[in-house]
Amino acid sequence: MRKLVILLALGVLTLFGGATSAGATTLGHHPLYMPNANNMTNPTLQPPPVCCAPTGPPVAGEPAPVNMAYFGGHVQVTPVIYLVFWGWGQAGAFDHTTAGMPTNDPDGAAARMTAFVKAMGGTAWAGSQTQYYETVNGQNINIQNPTNVFGGVWYDDTNPIHNNVTGQELAQEAQRAVAHFGVTDLKNSQFVIAQPQMYNEAGFVSGAGYCAWHDYTQPQYYPGVQPGISFTNMPYVLNSGSSCGENSVNTGYFAGRLDGFTIVMGHEIEETITDPGAEDVINGVNLGGWYDYAAYENGDKCAWVGYTLGVAPPNTVPGGLNNITGNDGKQYPVQSLWSNSSAGGAGWCAGAGDDLPVTG
Amino acid sequence: MRRRTVLLVLAALAAALGAGAALSASPSVTITTPKTNQKVSLHQAPYTAVAGTAGFAATTASTTRFYLRRDGCGTSSDNPHLSVTSGTDAGDGCGLVVDQVGPVGDAAPQATFTDYPASNGMPLAFDGAQPVNGQISLTGAQVGLAEVDVTLEALVGGNAVDLGSASGSAVLDPTAASTPVPFTIQPNTSLDGLDVQALDLRVNIHGPNVYSGFVALSGASWVDLPSHAASTNKNVLVSVDDETFANATPARLSGSTWSVAIPTPSVGKHTIYAESKQGYTTSAPASVTVTVTK
Repeated sequence: MRKLVILLALGVLTLFGGATSAGATTLGHHPLYMPNANNMTNPTLQPPPVCCAPTGPPVAGEPAPVNMAYFGGHVQVTPVIYLVFWGWGQAGAFDHTTAGMPTNDPDGAAARMTAFVKAMGGTAWAGSQTQYYETVNGQNINIQNPTNVFGGVWYDDTNPIHNNVTGQELAQEAQRAVAHFGVTDLKNSQFVIAQPQMYNEAGFVSGAGYCAWHDYTQPQYYPGVQPGISFTNMPYVLNSGSSCGENSVNTGYFAGRLDGFTIVMGHEIEETITDPGAEDVINGVNLGGWYDYAAYENGDKCAWVGYTLGVAPPNTVPGGLNNITGNDGKQYPVQSLWSNSSAGGAGWCAGAGDDLPVTG
Repeated sequence: MRRRTVLLVLAALAAALGAGAALSASPSVTITTPKTNQKVSLHQAPYTAVAGTAGFAATTASTTRFYLRRDGCGTSSDNPHLSVTSGTDAGDGCGLVVDQVGPVGDAAPQATFTDYPASNGMPLAFDGAQPVNGQISLTGAQVGLAEVDVTLEALVGGNAVDLGSASGSAVLDPTAASTPVPFTIQPNTSLDGLDVQALDLRVNIHGPNVYSGFVALSGASWVDLPSHAASTNKNVLVSVDDETFANATPARLSGSTWSVAIPTPSVGKHTIYAESKQGYTTSAPASVTVTVTK
């Protein structure tokens, strides 16, 4: 949306199977949104179509069928995730305090996100994505599932944040994070730019209907920003309540209050691992990794599966939202991730502990 | 003259000690041993005794009443919440809470509930040895049996803690201003002494003959939480050369005095810090400077 570069798709593209590189051209570009539970079919939040695919938006609460294909870009073989809590300690970042909690994290959201990133490595949830790969010199190199994917955390209270920050400003913060952490391996690194309660990204604030998005810095879209940075716009999703996952898995007021943070951030992190190039097509070269022909990534295809906004538990549906056990033994609510190998190869949402009986 | 002065000092100290715990409004701490500028021989004393006094607020048993309140009627600012103060609620007579479309016989109550998070009164030192009593008053409802399910949940140490649930029922009287439905939650005694950071009361109302109605507010619905006037969790921490107490040593607390033996630090000048904590409240640190010799 923000980036109005339109790449015209001319010519008919050949559709390839999942095991081969699927050459494709996008019709346009914008960040890859995660619509909230009430906006799953909102046409303005769908990814740019790849080409020719007759599929529409996923049905709310159900997996989006059709397996994903490899589009030739890199994946994050050994992912390292960096958390940036931008401005959480800045004056006015929160409108409340909680006794016994840090003033820069009164709801415990930063602590929960940090714990989740530390705990997600090595889980079956993350492991469901090791089937995907990148092809380098004819060799397929699969994504790994190391126990430790946590790169570090930075509470940046030096560079001022404000409400209605733009994507460009988020990209600039991601670039500052690259420098802060001294990252040299951009290919395997990703940066989650988490915003505090009162200072959020403009589209989220305006009620555009999404919970978060991820993107990839390229000069055409983020002028002046170092190219090749995979980053996530992670707003304070508690502001959107149940539509961004509050109490979606754990029903107690406090027990489920932070559910959305791990569900939404997990969605973006795993999408970035399998598609760090965010479906970009630059000068005819596809930088995208894995997604389907409607341009839905592994997270999009399984977003909010089973979620009925409180009427029924989501994990009664195969692939529904559920708690997983992290490598620290604690429970974290997540959404499932698309697995081409599930359902005997037909593909289904997997990894959240409520998989289909037949996983292939 | 000198002896008289010493006696006066001792008397003052005794008075201070006696005042300690019971009269403090918030935690306080002093270091009485070692004395400031005292010399400590590392060779003779590999461990140094540190002691002092600590004052804490009284933990008298009490009850905190939280009223169910609502700021508006059918707006995004309805803000159902608990408050320790009562008053006229703009949202009284509003906020349909009963299951309108429950199946015949109400075999499966709808998942319709209203959360009332506390907007004040926190932190609270929970007294889990006593029952939680309350009442949800119903108004505008039709005649018949109404059932009220309540769940009390707390945030403690950043984690959700279920304080308990209860159900109550009453036959609604359409001629009355409201019908109170009392409830009692008997908490698990293991919850006694929890320092509650935040609190929520979840209310679910249903019944076989109930199709409409509201929770009566403006003082008509409330929950009484047994509590202590201040936290029962008290401790004293000692730290050497680190005012942040990042690697502090806990002291043994006995009434209003405390003591601990710490490894004598290296030769040179050092500052020993102490702080007392009561629940989420921390005292101003006390400190003494000592010189460690060989």
